[in-house]
Amino acid sequence: MTFQEIVLELQNFWSRQGCAIVQPYDLEKGAGTFNPATFFGALTAAPARFAYIEPCRRPADGRYGENPNRLGKYYQFQVIMKPVPAGITDTYQKSLKAIGLDPKKHDLRWIEDDWESPTLGASGVGWEVWLDGMEITQFTYFQQMGSMPLSPVSVELTYGLERIAMYLQNKNSVYDLDYGGGLTYGDLHKPQERELSRYSFETADVALLSRHFNEWEAEGARLAGFGDPIPAYECVMRASHLFNTLEARGAISVTERAHYIGRIRNLSRKVMELYIEKNAPKQEAA
Amino acid sequence: MAKKIKAVDFLLDIHTEPFPARFVPPALDQLKLNAGKWLEGKIDHGEISVSGTLRHLILTVKAVAPKGNEKTERFKGPKAGAPAPAVEGFARKYGVEPGALIAESGILYAEVRTEAQAAGALFQMMIPELLKSLQFPKFMTWEETGFKFGRPLRAITALLGDKVVPVAIAGVKSGRSVYAHPVLSKAPATLKDPSRHAALLRQGLVICDPDERRGYLLKALDQATKPTGGKVEQDDELIDETVFMVEHPVPVLGKLRDAHMVLPAALLKMVMKKQLKFFPVVTCDGTLHPYFVGVRDGLSTGNELVREGYQRVLEARFNDAAFFVGRDSASTLDGKRALLDRVTYQKALGSMAQKAARVEALAAWIGERLRQNSPVDEMTVSRAAKLVYADLVTDVVKEFPELQGHMGGVYARKDGEGEKVALAIEQFYYPVAAKSPVPATAEGAVVSLAGKLDSLAGCFAAGLIPSGSADPYALRRQALGLIRIVLEKQLPLDVEEAIAHAISLQPVAVPEPAKLAAQLCDFVWGRAQSLFEDLKFAVDEVRAIRAGALKNFPTAFLRLSALRAVRRDPAFEPLAAAFKRAANILKQAKVESGLAPDRARLREQADYDLYDALVVAEGAANDRIVRGDFEGGLKTLVSVKPHLDQFFEKVMVMAEDEGLKNQRLALLSKLVRAFRRVADLSEIQPAAS
Repeated sequence: MTFQEIVLELQNFWSRQGCAIVQPYDLEKGAGTFNPATFFGALTAAPARFAYIEPCRRPADGRYGENPNRLGKYYQFQVIMKPVPAGITDTYQKSLKAIGLDPKKHDLRWIEDDWESPTLGASGVGWEVWLDGMEITQFTYFQQMGSMPLSPVSVELTYGLERIAMYLQNKNSVYDLDYGGGLTYGDLHKPQERELSRYSFETADVALLSRHFNEWEAEGARLAGFGDPIPAYECVMRASHLFNTLEARGAISVTERAHYIGRIRNLSRKVMELYIEKNAPKQEAA
Repeated sequence: MAKKIKAVDFLLDIHTEPFPARFVPPALDQLKLNAGKWLEGKIDHGEISVSGTLRHLILTVKAVAPKGNEKTERFKGPKAGAPAPAVEGFARKYGVEPGALIAESGILYAEVRTEAQAAGALFQMMIPELLKSLQFPKFMTWEETGFKFGRPLRAITALLGDKVVPVAIAGVKSGRSVYAHPVLSKAPATLKDPSRHAALLRQGLVICDPDERRGYLLKALDQATKPTGGKVEQDDELIDETVFMVEHPVPVLGKLRDAHMVLPAALLKMVMKKQLKFFPVVTCDGTLHPYFVGVRDGLSTGNELVREGYQRVLEARFNDAAFFVGRDSASTLDGKRALLDRVTYQKALGSMAQKAARVEALAAWIGERLRQNSPVDEMTVSRAAKLVYADLVTDVVKEFPELQGHMGGVYARKDGEGEKVALAIEQFYYPVAAKSPVPATAEGAVVSLAGKLDSLAGCFAAGLIPSGSADPYALRRQALGLIRIVLEKQLPLDVEEAIAHAISLQPVAVPEPAKLAAQLCDFVWGRAQSLFEDLKFAVDEVRAIRAGALKNFPTAFLRLSALRAVRRDPAFEPLAAAFKRAANILKQAKVESGLAPDRARLREQADYDLYDALVVAEGAANDRIVRGDFEGGLKTLVSVKPHLDQFFEKVMVMAEDEGLKNQRLALLSKLVRAFRRVADLSEIQPAAS
């Protein structure tokens, strides 16, 4: 099964489970959770069922295309469901079967792994799922966002697509994966990994990045004042990625780090409150 | 009384999504305890038992009576003779006729009888309360009602005899379906009565009894490793965890590549155990074999695919580890020391570089203190102390903090440091557990002591004193380690003095150093007490040797052992009582210690007899004590007992004649002093007869 076939199969599978297959959001982000389908989707009482592939950027994990297991930019396949359907763990097992991983033929384990995103003030309880010892999925019941308890709770599934593909195709390097269309994953990604690693570790302009961080933070706060959470949230995404790049560049000390995270968290909390205020079902005035 | 209807069994199976292994055993203990408490007095029943897996918490109550117990409760009311409306109102409130109220000592009481409830109704009430009573390390919510539990509920099987006990919790209705292995079993099975429950789960590849699962696992591990000629490394913690990580354990044997066997064995084992929960295979002398066992949850068919998967994951992890070792080997430990500047030990106590300097100074000081009685190689101590924290900045230790010390030893050997230095570094954090060894060499012991003393003194000086269960710097473990090292290495180190010195080296201002030192000594003594109690010494014996114990721990232990041995002598306890009397007299008379009696100024025969016996016994005891024979010494002293008894019987200590009184007090003071070289017998509590 090629990389693109895995993605297509997962899309088809979750489409059959009633999910809307949405597209990646067109801004840089560190994890699929940042896609508004999940971030806003988890916040209110309205039902949410989405699945999508999402490119994620982790500048600090870049290895110039030389490490067969580590990437500065890779894909996650993300599912979010609220309310949580009964038997969701069984459904997940069926999805593995759909991409050629029969749980009966493997050792499938659920290992405690609670999730936390300091910048979003978010946390969840869940597992990493191991297939024959390899972590292939993060399975999380969101409990908090913006430091507020969530009700109803959403479940989030994040498939590690590259790892699953390496397993299915029996490849030891991510760059050797058969992507589909006659290309390898390396054909598509190696130049990117090389150049973006150089950017994140060597050539990025620290002064410009810090200035932009300050500006997007201020802009987010300003935009929130107009009562529209979406443009303000885009500022959170931008600031968050700028922070990640600054950190990879080695431009943030340990004490500054906590300060930066606090600033993003404050802004994202503001955006969340705004979103809830705007979208929560209103009580009819008596 | 009505003829007994046959009692039936009750079964509750709480089926959930997978719990973390560490959640399950405490949850099962609570389930049993809380069910017992809830049922107590309400209904007659037989044995209560629990079993479970990561997906099932199972409670069984045998031989439940068909009906609960009747209950009569009494409620206090107004005074007898109170106005009629008050009496009537009270009676109405409890649903009894005013005439049925009972008067007792001028007060009216209402007696209310509650009819016996059917067993089913009682259990229906119990189940939700029982679920709510379970405490987990962390709770979560997952559905609309907001019910809090350790993991989402999937199903509740609740049967009393052949009848379902109907409850609904967090949107889950109870029933008679039994859900076995989530991957391997098909549709749920239907449970007719509780006795078939374990068998149905077993058919669906779930061994629900933890002890049975453990036995099955151990046997299977033995079988799996047989072809290698080795065995899985003994690791109870990993076994315990595995028992609650799988429902049907199937060991899969895999092989390590030769290329990886060049990595430090401790590192290989750590990767296998911590990162992948695999069992390393070792030969009978404990060396690592190039094999491992992973425990699969499921069937023993198609293991080839699983083995390949395990080996591939392990290989990737070993490659990471090799990468780290390679990076670490680019510079020497000595070179890495400079980086300790940037590692904070604790805000008030400075960087790890500062801590390292203190430990080096303290180790040198200890070496000097021991020079007389048990000299150590001071060059080795100094070199090891210098390098001992350098491995904290290595990639391997950052990834596996448990390998601190160990990797330092590995890298020290690579750097060409002497074997004695490397071993002292390797064993710096010893003992790592209650029963694990202390450093093997005297030099290693000295450096290790210095590290522990500095941590204890530093944290106490910075106000980070453990309280209750909170002990983030593991000071209790460090104090216990300190005691075990001086004791097991027989080091005559004055721990009180060492503590005071360690406090003086701390970078924080200590307003009352003597007071803080005394507090820390008490803390260390607290660990010593629990160590001795573990060794089955009686609490009062331990208390009796407290004085001076920290000044010389090996001797304190000899004194304690002597006391326990001599205590078996029938003359001992009456002597202890007489001793206590003597000590009390001295205390009341406020006699200064160190008084020496003058035989010539004593008067009665009993005075002389005690004096003479004491002089002889003290001399003989002293000969033995200086040879380390505290038991012989104490036995000799006990021989004065008849003379002491005579003394108390025949003479008045507090004589009218001031001079004579002082002589007798001095005589008792001499006696008390003689015993206190071994133990303070006034602490001895007479055995309850």
